[in-house]
Amino acid sequence: MASTNPAVIMGDGTGLTKLGFAGNDAPSFVFPTAIASRSTTSGKSSAQPVFGGNAGSTTSANNNLASKRGMEDLDFYIGDEALKAANGPNYSLSYPIKHGQIENWDHMERFWENSIFKYLRCEPEDHYFLMTEPPLNPPENRENVAEIMFESFNCAGLYIAVQAVLALAASWTSSKVQDRSLTGTVIDSGDGVTHVIPVAEGYVIGSAIKNIPIAGRDITMFIQQMLRERGELDSSLRTAEKIKQEFSYVCPDIVKEFRKFDNDSEKFAQFIVENESKTSKKIIDVGYERFLAPEIFFSPEIANSDFLTPLPVIVDQVIQQSPIDVRKGLYKNIVLSGGSTMFKDFGRRLQRDIRDIVKERITDSEKLSHAKSSGVDVNVISHRRQRNAVWFGGSLLAQTSEFKAYCHTKADYDEYGPNIVRNFSLFSVP
Amino acid sequence: MSQSLKPYLTAVRHSLTAAVSLEDFASQVAERHNDPEIESQRTPEVLLNPMVISRNENEKVLIESSINSVRVSIKIKQSDEIEHILVHKFTRFLTGRAEQFFILRRAPIAGYDLSFLITNLHTDQLMKAKLVDFIIEFMEDVDKEISEMKLFLNARARFVAEAYLTPFD
Amino acid sequence: MLNLESSNLSLEKTLRELFTTEKSVSIDRIVSDFDNTLFHISTPDPAEKTKIVLSIFLKCYNDLVKYGDVDSYLRNAYNDSQWYTVLDQPEDGYNFSIFIDLQQISTTVLASPEEMESLIAKLSLLKRNALAAPFDVAFKRYDVLAQEAAVKNVDLYVPEENSEEATSVINYREDETIYIRPSHDRVTVIFTALFKDETDKIFGNVFLQEFVDARKRSIQNAPQVLFSPYEPPLELRGLPEFQNFNYGQQSATSKYDKGFVTFVLFPRHLVPQKRENTITQIQLFRTYFHYHIKASKAYLHSRMRKRVLEYLKILNRAKPDQEEKDIERKTASGRRFVQRI
Repeated sequence: MASTNPAVIMGDGTGLTKLGFAGNDAPSFVFPTAIASRSTTSGKSSAQPVFGGNAGSTTSANNNLASKRGMEDLDFYIGDEALKAANGPNYSLSYPIKHGQIENWDHMERFWENSIFKYLRCEPEDHYFLMTEPPLNPPENRENVAEIMFESFNCAGLYIAVQAVLALAASWTSSKVQDRSLTGTVIDSGDGVTHVIPVAEGYVIGSAIKNIPIAGRDITMFIQQMLRERGELDSSLRTAEKIKQEFSYVCPDIVKEFRKFDNDSEKFAQFIVENESKTSKKIIDVGYERFLAPEIFFSPEIANSDFLTPLPVIVDQVIQQSPIDVRKGLYKNIVLSGGSTMFKDFGRRLQRDIRDIVKERITDSEKLSHAKSSGVDVNVISHRRQRNAVWFGGSLLAQTSEFKAYCHTKADYDEYGPNIVRNFSLFSVP
Repeated sequence: MSQSLKPYLTAVRHSLTAAVSLEDFASQVAERHNDPEIESQRTPEVLLNPMVISRNENEKVLIESSINSVRVSIKIKQSDEIEHILVHKFTRFLTGRAEQFFILRRAPIAGYDLSFLITNLHTDQLMKAKLVDFIIEFMEDVDKEISEMKLFLNARARFVAEAYLTPFD
Repeated sequence: MLNLESSNLSLEKTLRELFTTEKSVSIDRIVSDFDNTLFHISTPDPAEKTKIVLSIFLKCYNDLVKYGDVDSYLRNAYNDSQWYTVLDQPEDGYNFSIFIDLQQISTTVLASPEEMESLIAKLSLLKRNALAAPFDVAFKRYDVLAQEAAVKNVDLYVPEENSEEATSVINYREDETIYIRPSHDRVTVIFTALFKDETDKIFGNVFLQEFVDARKRSIQNAPQVLFSPYEPPLELRGLPEFQNFNYGQQSATSKYDKGFVTFVLFPRHLVPQKRENTITQIQLFRTYFHYHIKASKAYLHSRMRKRVLEYLKILNRAKPDQEEKDIERKTASGRRFVQRI
């Protein structure tokens, strides 16, 4: 009956983890990739009342291990509960994933343990798992993931997919996409950092990846700063974030937009902050930051003096650094993924700007070579699943009937060992 | 440390120190090759007699030496099937990370649980005495670790069983 | 996490979201649970987004019907509220469906969070309640038998010879079964113990031994636990699948390559006020047990990682000290000895 069990999709990111089942259109759980475990310094004596002293561990190196003999390894929380528990005295919070890659395997293993048994409630022996990894993840990390999934949890089967490839697959739901290819440029913008990743036929072109230090958090901070400068009643980070989510949009031209705002006071919005008991209200005016905040992707100089290259230029550079025979495909299929690409008209503006850059280059080269270019198609694809694009792409792939054939099973692992997961065959397009 | 362990480890230490006397040696069989002779076994005249140091039938060390390489294989004590599976898990965990332990062999010699291969390249870069120290410390520690794991398993099982059965009342 | 919940957290969260969001959205979501259980929350009619159907699929539903009359048991359990109704015809591919109209709920229940929470809690216990049916039947049968025995004045200490009593056979997982057998002084619940992995099997045996010993050592009031690594216990002798079993013949290659864990529930566990708790607790045995095997393997992993680091530290002592040429030296006045080219 294993065939009726849906595959589990686990997308562990630096900030957020997304858990759910294949076939669903949204993850069942989205929570911080955080784990709060009992701190080793406090309450050492009270923490292990059951199995106190033990013989044979007198050296100081062993004391640390011996004190763990109790049940401390079961005493931890993950996700939102972890944040809550960490406010108390006995727990310390840690984020096992740094810059997309797993740094603390002990914590990650327990994080998964809780994800599977407490949140998803599935017996891993009955389910196939699809996990995600960042581009350029070292193969050793894959092996470690497999070691945990197969040896600790005995999961039935495992597939590890690159996030960018899944984001491409997620874009197939957009009506703009005609052929379901795995070639394209993925712009993945979360909270901390924005990546531009070229993918050719399912393989990431590692040498051309670029990171931009502008992402969701910078936009929030920018809004907060503007609120403070104006002296609004409430300029907390939470308010700034709400304003970002509800009021911000991308405009085609800042100068014109400023003029529009000045002529038409309707454009200004008001945001009402209520305190928790809903007794008092503060009214916050929302002004130019509505369009200025997302603008920092396109004109970074307005917020930051360290990084000055606009996003469209970066995308163009990335594609120009990729092999020449895939560039057309990369321009044709620029896919957005992640929460910070959700601004209204973000895709449209990006498409226009990249088109302008490309057009300029084509006219230049036509002038030089006196040959007519066949033209380059630039398409930026936005779709409804953008926020959880990576997870959704995984869900899409894992619900196909072929999925299990592409997984490595527990039997394979037992026979060949961890290095089997160094290679996964790519999905042929269903 | 129990009474019989010390002489055992001392014997291993001295034999190892003697065995790890390696020099660069180009292959006599294939031109421009230079492989560990103990692994290739193609030049009998540079192989020395292997030596087994045994504490009891469950714990022994096999030292096979040659002119440019020494292979040390360890059989770890396993008194029951729990220890057997723990040793198996532990050695597999270690060999899976053999890259980091430059002298660890990915697969043990048949009949043993873990093998090290020390070549003249290692002795050129690393201090010989410390290498021997490492192997001795490893042997000393591994038994302790396995029995601690076993103790943990029993303690955990007891706790889990009690935690399950208590709410019935 | 030491104990597992019997309610489904994911189901709970989904329902809470549906109940509290103001904008009604169409939903089509599957949620899984242990032992091949599947929930489906959907809005079947896209035009009416407030009408939600919650369905459950259980692998062993036919067995539950046969031995527990689960359909009427669940109907009985879920007829206490006006906020939802049980559908006469369950959704296609599922065994049992509950219909909820958000419009009705949102006006009344949402005003009081307690009422909403208790509603959610009740719905998210659907799997627990479904699996409770055969236990309930067996416990009721025990009541009858106990009464008969009291009338007939049977000596409670004489083991009963009456093996006619029917045993419920619940194939709750592939190749894994729960047997429930009521008698006049006890209810015997037997789980098969099957391990797909050799390590699990050995770890499992260690755990089961402690389950067996726990009662002797500390918790005298717990149910008695027996473990037989490969022989089916005598209670099951009457079942057709064990009729040809050769007792006393030890062989690892036996066709019945699984162990049997017997829980003997005594009258003290079957008194009305403890009954529901007992059902909840015993249902989760297999999951709890396997969860802890896995959790201890995870712990051993972290232990081994620590060891590896320690060994590496020892090994790295063998490296000769960093050559001094890398260190930049300066004179007292701050000038460097670097030759500028």
